Amino acid sequence: MALALRLDHVTKRYGQTLAVDGVSFTAEPGRLFGLLGPNGAGKSSTIRMITYITTPDAGAVTLGGVEAGPETQRRMGYLPEERGLYKKMKVGEQLVYLAQLKGMERVAAERSVRAWLDRFGASEWYGKAVDELSKGMQQKVQFVSTVAHDPDLCIFDEPFSGLDPINADVLQETIVELRERGKTVLFASHRMEQVERLCDDLCLISQGRVVLRGTVTEVKARYGRDTVTVEFGGADGWLDRLVGGGAVRVLTRAAGRAELRLAGASPNDVLAAALAGGADVTQFGVHAPPLTEIFRTAVAEGVQGSRVVSSPTLDAETAPPPRVAG
Amino acid sequence: MNKTLLIARSEYLRRVLTKGFLVGVLLAPLGLVLLFVLPAVLGSLSSDDAERRVAILDESGRLYEAVAAAAPERFAVERTAAPLDSLRVRVLDERLDVALVLPASLLEGRGEASVYGRSGGGLTQLDDVRDAVRGAVRDVRLADVGAPDEVQAVLAERPRVRSVTVTEDGDAADGALLATIIGFVVGFAIYLLMFIYGQLVMRGVIEEKQNRIVEVIASSVRPFELLMGKVLGIGAVGLTQVVAWGVLGAGVLAVLGPVLALFAGGPAPPPGAGVAGGVAAGGAAELPFDVGAIGALLTPGFLTVLVLCFLGGYLFYAALFAAVGSAVEQESDAQSLMLPLTLPIIVPILFLQPMLDQPDSTLSVVLSILPPFSTILLPVRAIATDVPVWQTALALALLAVAFLGAIWVAARVYRVGILMYGKKATFGDLWRWVRTA
Repeated sequence: MALALRLDHVTKRYGQTLAVDGVSFTAEPGRLFGLLGPNGAGKSSTIRMITYITTPDAGAVTLGGVEAGPETQRRMGYLPEERGLYKKMKVGEQLVYLAQLKGMERVAAERSVRAWLDRFGASEWYGKAVDELSKGMQQKVQFVSTVAHDPDLCIFDEPFSGLDPINADVLQETIVELRERGKTVLFASHRMEQVERLCDDLCLISQGRVVLRGTVTEVKARYGRDTVTVEFGGADGWLDRLVGGGAVRVLTRAAGRAELRLAGASPNDVLAAALAGGADVTQFGVHAPPLTEIFRTAVAEGVQGSRVVSSPTLDAETAPPPRVAG
Repeated sequence: MNKTLLIARSEYLRRVLTKGFLVGVLLAPLGLVLLFVLPAVLGSLSSDDAERRVAILDESGRLYEAVAAAAPERFAVERTAAPLDSLRVRVLDERLDVALVLPASLLEGRGEASVYGRSGGGLTQLDDVRDAVRGAVRDVRLADVGAPDEVQAVLAERPRVRSVTVTEDGDAADGALLATIIGFVVGFAIYLLMFIYGQLVMRGVIEEKQNRIVEVIASSVRPFELLMGKVLGIGAVGLTQVVAWGVLGAGVLAVLGPVLALFAGGPAPPPGAGVAGGVAAGGAAELPFDVGAIGALLTPGFLTVLVLCFLGGYLFYAALFAAVGSAVEQESDAQSLMLPLTLPIIVPILFLQPMLDQPDSTLSVVLSILPPFSTILLPVRAIATDVPVWQTALALALLAVAFLGAIWVAARVYRVGILMYGKKATFGDLWRWVRTA
C-alpha cells in the first residue's frame, strides 16, 4: 500500500514564535521528497507534526487521507536527527520492542528485525547491548528501528550525518530501494549535494514558510542556465579581474577549475576573458546553478519577501529551544 | 498488546532481569539477618555447644541429684569428694571446667555456693549454674518443710507480663513497644520505597531524554502512554521487591523467633514445657514482646491498607517525579525542582513519633487522612490504634483523587518537557506547560 503525505496550510506557534507558517506540500508514494531548510527554518517542527509528536495549531497533516494520529503513527518510521537508543538494552530486544510499539506482533517483529540485521551483515549484534557497538553500528541499528515495521512513510532527518562513505552508500541504496518499493520517503537535510543526487521532489522552507517547491528538475529549470564551469590551465589572473568587475560571482574555485554564477556577464564574456587572460581552457560548460546556490538565493528572497507580519519577537520563556527548529 | 502495558512490561523486565535487582532483593534481608541473627548464633555456637565438665562437691549430701537434673544438657556433671585443693588443680590443668562447691549450710538458708572456674565462661554459664542451684535448694527445702506439691508448683511458676492494646474488634494486640517498632519500620519502609522508586522513574525519564530515544518513542505512542507505562512498570518492580522481601522476611522471622529467644534467654524451652518454661530450664528471660505477636498485628486488613497506601503514594510521587525528570536534561539539574516533592515525603517522618504516641489526636487524624501525608501516616496510625473505617475510606479516596490530579499535571508537563532541550526549566515554565492545552 502506498500513501501520500499531505500538509495543508500547517501552522505551529510556540508562544510568540511562529515556527511553521502555513506550510503545504505533498510527498508522493514511490518518490523521494526532500525537505530542506537552513537551521531554525522549522524543519524539525514540521516533522514533529507529521509524526504526531505535536499537533498543528492550524491546518492539517494527512497520510493517505487519514489525519495524523495514532493510526498514522503506526504507518510511519522516523529517524530523528539526534539519534538515540536504550544503551543498556540488547539490540534485538530493543528493535523488537520499538517495532511492537508501532503495533507489530512480537513474532513478526522478531522476523523482520532479524532480516534487516542480516541484510546489514549485523546478525551477530542481536544479543549485544547497544553501548557495546561503535557509533556507525548504532546508526545502522537506529536505521533498522525506522524501517523494521515496514512503514509506508519513512522520514529520515539527516540520515547520513556521522556515517563513513561506505556505510553512507549502503544506507543510500536502502533508501533508494524503499522508494522503488513504492514507499513515501521524506528526507530532511541541509546537505544540498545529497538532495540533488537523491531526491525527486523538494520543498525548501525558511523562517517557517515554503519558499520553493517542485520537482528537482523543475526547480533547477526555473532558475535558468546562468552558471558556467571553466576548467583551464595556466594563469588565473583573468578570474580575479572578472570577479573584481562584479560581472560574476565565484561559487567554487580550485586550481584550474571555477564554477561561476553570471551576474550581468554572458557566458561568452567569461570565455573571452579567460582566453584573453592567457588561460588554457580545457572545458567550458553552461548549466543551471547547483542546488546549494538556488537554496541560497531562495532563502535570501524569502527573507526579503512578504514578511509583512510583524516579525515574531522571541519570547525567551516560550521560544522553542534551539534544536526544535533546524 | 496495549501500548501502555507493552511499555510497562519492557520497563519492568529491563529492571528485574538484572543482577543488581537480584542482589538488592537478597542482600537487604540478608543484611538484616546478619545484623540481628548472626551475633546471637555466633554467641550460642561459641559458648553453648561446647561441653563443660562440671564437678560438684556436695557437702550437704542431698543437693547433687537436684542440681545435676537442673543443669543444662551441655554440662557433664560428676559427683566428687576430692578436697577443694585438688579440684583447683584439675581446673587449672583444664581437666575440669567448673568446680561447684555446695556447703551444707545452704539447706539452712545460710552460706553460699561457690563456682570455681578459669576466667571466662561468661554470664550465661554463671546464670545457668545459679539457676540450677537455686532451684535445687528451693525444691529440697520445700520438701523438708513438707510443702504440698501445689505450693511447689506455684513457686516454680514464672508468670509473664505482656502489654495489651484494646481494640474494637475485641482482639488484643501485643504491646505498645511492638507497635512503635513496627510503626517506625513501616513508616520508613514506605518513605524509602516511594523515594527510591520515584527517583527511579525520574532517572528513567531523564535517561530517555538524554538518549534522545524519547523522540522515537513519541512518534510511536502518546506521551501519556509512555508516562503511565513507565510509572506502572517501575511500580511493579517495587511491588516485586516488596513481595520478595515479605516472603523472605516471613522466612527470616520463622528463623528469627527461636533464635531471638535463644539470644535473650539462654536455651529455648524444650517442646512441651510451655511458653512459661520451667524451673528446670532455668527460666527464659522475658522478651519485651512476643515475637509471634508481630503476625497478629499484621492482619489482612492492615496489609491491604498498607499496600494501597504504598501504591497510591508511589503513583502520586512517581508521576510528579516523572514530570520533574522530563523538565531537565541531567539529574543534577533536578535538585531544585525536586524540593517541593521531597518535603511532603519527609514531613510524615517527623510526625511518626507523635502519631504513635497519640494516634487519636486531631492532628494525627487529619494527617492520616490528608494526601500525600496519608501514604505514610495512615498505615502507621493503623498500627497504633483502631482507625475507623470511614477515615480509612476517606483517606484512600482522597489519595486516589490526589493521584489523578498529579498524573494530570504530570502528563501535561511531561508532554512538553520531553521535547525541550537546551534550557533549564523553572517552576514558571512548568506552570505554563500545565496551562497550555
